[in-house]
Amino acid sequence: MTESLRVARLIWFVTWFNVKMLLTSEFFILTTFLSPIIFATLAFFLFRAGSNTSGQTLLYVALGAGMMGVWSTTLFGCGGAIAWQRWEGTLELLVNAPSRYDYILVGQTFGAVTLGFYGIGATIVWGMLLFGMPLEATFPWLLPFGLAAAVLSLGSLGMLIATTFVLYRHANALGNLLEYPIWLIAGLLVPVATLPFWVQPISWLLAPTWGMEAIRGSATASDPPFFAIGMCLVLAVVYYVLARIILVYVLNKARRDATLALQ
Amino acid sequence: MTVAVAPALRSPANPGSLRAAWRVFWNGGLLSYGALFNWARPSIYIPTLIGGPTFQLLFFAALGSYATHRDPAYFALGNAVQVSALAGVFGMTMAIANERWFGTLPALLATPANRAALFAGRFIPHIVNGLFVSLYAVAFGVVFLGVHFEPSTLGVAALALVVTVFSCTAIGSMQGAISLRLRDGLFGANLLMMGFLIFCGVNIPLQVLPGWMQVIGNLLPFTHGLEAVRQAARGAGLDAVAGLILTELLIGVVYAVGAFLLWSYLERSARRNGTLDVR
Repeated sequence: MTESLRVARLIWFVTWFNVKMLLTSEFFILTTFLSPIIFATLAFFLFRAGSNTSGQTLLYVALGAGMMGVWSTTLFGCGGAIAWQRWEGTLELLVNAPSRYDYILVGQTFGAVTLGFYGIGATIVWGMLLFGMPLEATFPWLLPFGLAAAVLSLGSLGMLIATTFVLYRHANALGNLLEYPIWLIAGLLVPVATLPFWVQPISWLLAPTWGMEAIRGSATASDPPFFAIGMCLVLAVVYYVLARIILVYVLNKARRDATLALQ
Repeated sequence: MTVAVAPALRSPANPGSLRAAWRVFWNGGLLSYGALFNWARPSIYIPTLIGGPTFQLLFFAALGSYATHRDPAYFALGNAVQVSALAGVFGMTMAIANERWFGTLPALLATPANRAALFAGRFIPHIVNGLFVSLYAVAFGVVFLGVHFEPSTLGVAALALVVTVFSCTAIGSMQGAISLRLRDGLFGANLLMMGFLIFCGVNIPLQVLPGWMQVIGNLLPFTHGLEAVRQAARGAGLDAVAGLILTELLIGVVYAVGAFLLWSYLERSARRNGTLDVR
């Protein structure tokens, strides 16, 4: 087996293994399966209260609420990834295994992100069944590319989150802190243009902003979202490089200080 | 010749006495807060109970005003009251369920401590904490999001807020009691938090919701208390909102009594089946 095939197999195996692990957690069942539907319902009612119930608006809301679930799963699934390995006592084994540890982390974060993308499908079906949302895409052929680009960029962001959150002892507390601001700044339900001007440059650095743009652009925009898809890919590379640098630093430091297994 | 005499030990209070019950209520409550509430340390408390509510207010103020063209203050006030549930629901869930997870439940239930005092003592710190979180969020809303309180009825709004926080802590204790039987008690706590956002008029006025959702909203904490806070903020006096406050209080008392009965039942059942320590 060639080296690249071996790496692909490793990432695939860890991704699938992590999906199965997350599916045993009631918290992730809530975050992935129920929370997007609840927030979509809330948003549907809010837009209906504002007499704004056009098909485009409903699709906008369904996609945004779905992406909120993707972000929550990424945040909580990746934020505690390394910390969980520590608690479970598998971190030392994984770091010292012949396979590169960052490939294992890639698989783990992609597992969480892939699971999170279920939320988008769920909110679309929910919107169609309960709120009569029409399902129309202006560029249906671009939708798979938009989704793939969003998965890639959020997966890489998840890896960056995993490597940086490990520096903070209470990763879940950071997760609690960062859920709402990214929902807001990334323009998932409220257009970024309506936020203060200084918020907009921050949103350009976030994968959910471009992931959302790529998916929404394929579904509702008048122009194809090539730029958003491109930005997803660029951010994916930038996040991965940053995550790798931080990971090498963190692991070296933990080895030097003999703190790899400490909680 | 002198003989060393051991100092006389203080005789322990009779477990059935009022003094013992008070100690279990007061000291036990404080100890429980410090030991079982995982978030009671700055590194978790600040991001979760200060930072989280701040961004929740901003998010719903932005979303609500964009979607409905209403004043952001409406959503800010609703969420400022609702965030007390972070302390009330999660706090009470931890205060009860963590006894089992930390392995202290068998020791606790082996004592002859007054159960009502034991249970009630856990309430107070979380009500105070919930009030603090909510007051912080209200202050944030006043300063940044245009929330306004009529000065003449500020006391009425404060009373409604206290009753609402009590009632929310009471449903938290119910969730805590249920958690004694569940693998992950925080699942229900998270579900409750989301339920409050959607059913209780926090963001969506109750009359906009379908009938069955209004029924659920009327059975949950927050709905009446929050409406009382909103009306008092606009200048309604005690005579106008007393009914809402009393209904909220009644809902809280029903949940608190229900939680205590459930807890007592689960204790007896766990003793009978030998499942006190089963996780």
